[in-house]
Amino acid sequence: MAKITYVEFNGTKHVIDVQPGMTVMEGAVKNNVPGIDAECGGACACATCHVYVEPSWKAKTGEQGELEASMLDIANNPQPNSRLSCQIRVTEELDGLVVNLPQSQHS
Amino acid sequence: MRPVTELSLPYLAIGSPEFARDPVSQFDTARALHPWLAKTDYGYVITEYAAIKDLLGLDAQMRPPHEVFIDAMNARGSRWERFQMESVLAIHNADHKRIRDVVAPMFTPRAANQHRALMRQVISRVLDEWSPKGHFDFEEFASYFPITVMCSLLGAPPSIVPGLRSSLEALGLSFNMIPGFLPQLEKACEVLEDALASLIADRRAGRRLNAGADLLDPLLEARDSGGLSEGELQSLLIFLFVAGYDTSKNVLTFIMHDMLQHPEIYARCAEDLAYCRKVVEESMRYRSPGTSARLTDVDLVYRDVMIPKNTMLFLPNGIAGRDPSAFPDPEKYDPDRQQTNRHIGFGRGMHLCLGQFIARAQLEEGLHQIARRIKSPRLAGTYGYRPFPGVWGIKGLPIEFTPAPRPAEAAALVEDGSVA
Repeated sequence: MAKITYVEFNGTKHVIDVQPGMTVMEGAVKNNVPGIDAECGGACACATCHVYVEPSWKAKTGEQGELEASMLDIANNPQPNSRLSCQIRVTEELDGLVVNLPQSQHS
Repeated sequence: MRPVTELSLPYLAIGSPEFARDPVSQFDTARALHPWLAKTDYGYVITEYAAIKDLLGLDAQMRPPHEVFIDAMNARGSRWERFQMESVLAIHNADHKRIRDVVAPMFTPRAANQHRALMRQVISRVLDEWSPKGHFDFEEFASYFPITVMCSLLGAPPSIVPGLRSSLEALGLSFNMIPGFLPQLEKACEVLEDALASLIADRRAGRRLNAGADLLDPLLEARDSGGLSEGELQSLLIFLFVAGYDTSKNVLTFIMHDMLQHPEIYARCAEDLAYCRKVVEESMRYRSPGTSARLTDVDLVYRDVMIPKNTMLFLPNGIAGRDPSAFPDPEKYDPDRQQTNRHIGFGRGMHLCLGQFIARAQLEEGLHQIARRIKSPRLAGTYGYRPFPGVWGIKGLPIEFTPAPRPAEAAALVEDGSVA
């Protein structure tokens, strides 16, 4: 299991044990973490599972893919550490990962 | 837990002309009898926003119901069956992801925004032709806009549009479940297959309309590299035409209908493109054409109700925005409304509308240019409604108006010959 901390925009923290192999988005949705819409269910087609990855974790989560970057154009306040959480596959290496949620999933 | 068959449920005749005229009040009446479920012909209809949203997300437990529509139309072995069953909307396994991955890069928000100049140019040209009339059927006028944009994106000459319109109209009524309609669907498929075969043959022979790459190029590359079969390529192209024709045209007609009731909002659309975005989203909440349909793949238990395997569910995502439990004061049309819930007019789950960002961009650009050229529109006759299941919409919207001249920068766009 990898312990992932989802931080809502208002500061509320949700610490969730996520099964490796799932995505960071699935870890949130299956545990009812508010603030992740995931309209397309994980196909990188809607940009409503936007998160900000804590900078210290960026090397381990990897960079935005080409399609993902093109989707993030529509996200609310995208930043260099923005990711679509459906595109981050959870591994044991991500145990301790912290992601911050945007104010809204819609711009 | 109770089986759905044991519940006492309201009945909604969702295929009837009466229902198409006013589905919202019939949903309100049904919800007074059961909070989220009603019976209908062929299965059940979900009447509550939250339940529609939940169930659309259960892709692993439901599948598209095209087989039922094919049987209802006695269409086994037909061209129309092949087109429907190879359509990306009907495919629900790993092939869906493979096909969607081929086209996904073409339909991102970034890609859609890159086509805005083209969209402005197309609508300006259509307005040049139509707006001097001072009165017309808005639905017919609108029918030339999204499909001409799609032609340009695929490198097809816009001159083919008039010849395809009746076929696209027919395919837009694919799910009316009237077996006698099959010959029209067969003819429509034949016309579209011939037109697209000709487009592909021209491209393979090196004849092309656009100097630069267009959306047909990566589709042909995917075919050549084995990413798409010939049948999938053809079905995908027909699908892009059909999906790009009916839905956007019907939404734009709904928007104009809304604007006839709200002239002050319409006037502001002429001044402010950013505001048009709010108007498009509010019109999509107010009502839009889509009803998703699914067959349960398992004995599905939802909110303590058991829905048996192979039951048809209609999920009317296009009017879910009128549910008062999700949208306070849902009858009030207000582009500036503050809301926690968002409309699901483009669907949800793995079959979420692929073209949503293209649709949004062209509806915003289209509304802005229309509001600048078609001043003070008034209803000038009666209108009807298209069948509710499938692609709902207004049928014919006669308006009269005061034409305004083409703005200077729109003129520059039209005279720039870079896009056909």
